[in-house]
Amino acid sequence: LNAAPGRAPRERVRFLPAPDGGDGGVTGLVAVKVPVLADHPLVRGPRLRRLKIGAGHRLDVKASGVFVLGIGHGNKLLTDLYNCHLTKVYTVGGLFGKATDDFSDTGKLVEKTTFDHITREKLERILAVIQGTNHKALLMYSNIDMKTQEAYELAVKGLIRPMGKSPPIITAVRCLQFALPEFQLEIHCLHETQQYLRKIVHEIGLELKSSAVCTQVRRIRDGVFTLDDALLRTQWNLQSIQNAIRDCQLKVKTELERTLG
Amino acid sequence: RGAGAMWGALRGVRRPPAALRRGLAKAAGPRSTRQLREAEEAAPIFQYVGKSAKRKDRVFVWGFCYSGALGVPSFVKPDVGWKKPRRIQPTPYRLETEEKISSAACGYGFTLLSSNTRDITKVWGMGLNKDSQLGFQRSRRDRAKGYEYVLEPSPIPLPLEKPQQTRVLQVSCGRAHSLILTDSEGVFTMGNNSYGQCGRKVVEDETYSESHLIHQLKEFDSRVVQVVCGQDHSLFRTKKGAVYACGWGADGQTGLGHYDITSVPTKLHGDIAGVNIIQVSSYGDCCLAVSDEGDVFGWGNSEYLQLASVTETTQVNVPRHLPFKIGKIKEAACGGTGNIVLTEEGNVFVWGYGILGKGPNLIETAVPEMIPPSLFGWSDFNPDIRVAHVRCGLSHFAALTNRGELFVWGKNLRGCLGTGRMEDHYFPWRVTVPGEVVDVACGVDHMVSMVKSFT
Repeated sequence: LNAAPGRAPRERVRFLPAPDGGDGGVTGLVAVKVPVLADHPLVRGPRLRRLKIGAGHRLDVKASGVFVLGIGHGNKLLTDLYNCHLTKVYTVGGLFGKATDDFSDTGKLVEKTTFDHITREKLERILAVIQGTNHKALLMYSNIDMKTQEAYELAVKGLIRPMGKSPPIITAVRCLQFALPEFQLEIHCLHETQQYLRKIVHEIGLELKSSAVCTQVRRIRDGVFTLDDALLRTQWNLQSIQNAIRDCQLKVKTELERTLG
Repeated sequence: RGAGAMWGALRGVRRPPAALRRGLAKAAGPRSTRQLREAEEAAPIFQYVGKSAKRKDRVFVWGFCYSGALGVPSFVKPDVGWKKPRRIQPTPYRLETEEKISSAACGYGFTLLSSNTRDITKVWGMGLNKDSQLGFQRSRRDRAKGYEYVLEPSPIPLPLEKPQQTRVLQVSCGRAHSLILTDSEGVFTMGNNSYGQCGRKVVEDETYSESHLIHQLKEFDSRVVQVVCGQDHSLFRTKKGAVYACGWGADGQTGLGHYDITSVPTKLHGDIAGVNIIQVSSYGDCCLAVSDEGDVFGWGNSEYLQLASVTETTQVNVPRHLPFKIGKIKEAACGGTGNIVLTEEGNVFVWGYGILGKGPNLIETAVPEMIPPSLFGWSDFNPDIRVAHVRCGLSHFAALTNRGELFVWGKNLRGCLGTGRMEDHYFPWRVTVPGEVVDVACGVDHMVSMVKSFT
């Protein structure tokens, strides 16, 4: 950024003695535009020394995926996006047969169990119940009086959502892959942490009378930002960052207008 | 030599005698990856459930407890000092039963549970027994008297000819009488008969409490396949598709063309004559019948606009066809003031008076209104959720989806909805049950559900 051509140095008019060829005599003053010395790059130093970067929703060390950052004035948009309370989508991979103390496969082993009785149908039944109880929590934490007609209309459209602080809520779960002992779930959630998702995998194992650990947590969508908008490690350079900001600007603006009015 | 060197380095420290010195023991440090992996592989594997474990059948109850209708004695009379009597059970509570319950029915303050078994005990009852609607329950303190309130599921002795071969198919409960349907010995009726609802002649000044009388009904045109109790009348549906009725008729709920009481089950005519009826339903004073072609017929009380689509009168004593253009109807259920039907496509329609399920603004309607499927969990994420069954209590409704979820809405009388909240629900609300709900029976202020466990 600093290598990019910056602002041209300011100029001002100074009255300098005219270069005269002779010796002594009357020296005239000539008005000359000269660059201000204070604007010289060697005096001024690099234009940008610090960059304000803010982070969006947290992503812990063992997880991967979309991580939203705000640069400079974009940090204000970050708080607005947080107040929109949009759902995030994760792909969570799990493994049956083990239970560890921190619910992931790198933790200390607590117990090993059999898992040959588990079928995809049983897993889907448990997921349906999880969805049901979380849907109930969605309605309850939204702080809307359920006895009003507006609450009914919002519930019909499926737009009831907690717009304030709430415990983690899962809005939708779906089983993407099931190959014993591994399975993969797609989870849409609000206000969650990745450790909470690992705990959910552990509890699914317990419900199925076995045990499960979480092998992978990957965020594939965070509000309006999807995997396609995300920059890879090889793309962490100025040009791609600028392109990415430009592409997402419109999306973020429309989403903020829609939700916050 | 290593240990000796170590001790030699610690100058000034008294060395322990040779006997106490350890050999070349290694200090314990953090375990290496290989050690961890070996420890993990050596860990024992626990088996909690085998490969062919079957799903268990359970019964959950909730609602008003003081009548004993929930079947948990400790709610009414605590067995331990620190427990307090519980007036309302707001969330589903598991009821332990000896056998798998195949049919349940909730009456006005009492419950009947029946099992499909060939054992001698097939039907259990609990709750109010002031009119012997649960048969004669011999008191343990005085062998000549019977219990007025039965607090736990007690067997009902039926006078069967072949008790070890007959199976009980279905039970039904009304305000103060109950019907038990068997596969080969007809229908047994017990309880209050002041309006002839038990199908036998009304005896003046008969005392119904502590009565041993259980009447058997066998004279129908074919085998009875469904029994339904209204508030003070009984409906019987036979295999040939005919409907019989007996009991109180002041609102025309017997559908026999008059407003008197009937004490012998008589066949109904009117618009259902010759029609093959596949389901009948009633709980208050209005009745609905569904034919195999998907038409719905109604008769009885119409004070709450239940039959206002065909007539302005408030009582209809002959079955009338209800010309609704909502599709082929699969199932219907009648409540005290509202009715609900389920169509073949899986849509739910409600009409009548009261909290119908479309928000607080819809209080009464004579024409069926559809409840949007998104309220039952249907969405783009789950497009194949359908409502499978609908049930009605006196002032509330229940719907079961094909995924085994139970939705309730209506007036929350003494916690009968089971959602954990004491307020009325104006649109379908999920009940959290730890299992897949197979069937549910709705009463006035309590509900019973038959649930299959998940695994």
